[in-house]
Amino acid sequence: MPVPFEALIPFGIIAAMFTVTGTGLNTVRYFANDRKPARFNVDVFDKAMMERDRRLTGSVRGQSSDPVAPAAFATNSVWYADVPRHN
Amino acid sequence: MATHLSSGFTKTEYVDPTPLPESVPKVDEVGATSAPLKSASFFIGQYCKAYNEDFMLCKAENNDPEHCLKEGRKVTRCAIDLITKLRENCSKEFDAHWQCLENHNQELYSCRKPERTFNTCVFEKLVCVIQFIFISFMYYFD
Repeated sequence: MPVPFEALIPFGIIAAMFTVTGTGLNTVRYFANDRKPARFNVDVFDKAMMERDRRLTGSVRGQSSDPVAPAAFATNSVWYADVPRHN
Repeated sequence: MATHLSSGFTKTEYVDPTPLPESVPKVDEVGATSAPLKSASFFIGQYCKAYNEDFMLCKAENNDPEHCLKEGRKVTRCAIDLITKLRENCSKEFDAHWQCLENHNQELYSCRKPERTFNTCVFEKLVCVIQFIFISFMYYFD
């Protein structure tokens, strides 16, 4: 009895659907990360460095190798504060 | 009796534009972002070893930021000096290496080839014992 190739068509369709969604997701992440592959396994140190990069260049994936920082960098660090709560 | 907070994490961002007081000597901050710093990290560790160790020992004594401002200024100046030297002498190899790092999740093992060319360039152009001895005394005056 020959192989029923008609049964493999739905498998092909499902595989194509997975491929399309996977590729689509990776493309969106690529463009969201300044046209670079997305960072993964980001720990607290990396998050702190990316925040510093944002303060220096305006984007968490922006990079610059200038030796001296722009003048605004000295005072643009962000603190998360709140109004005093009078309980 | 415990009081109940209405929200969880603080989302209000607060930026303080007040500059440092005039009594603190003015030093420019290092402008390199994470990938160039990671690329130059071993060279910074070697070139600025004395100042980095001074700063870390000072911090180990007392973690108050005000206590180690002087040692911190020396670390900053040394790092700026080294990055300037690297850009002057080996800028193409340096850029190639940190751009490769940016495309590979900043993992050093993925970028060994550009790293090798960068290391040979630095070795040929900057590893000069007389230079190190001379420069290493420049930052003791604050």
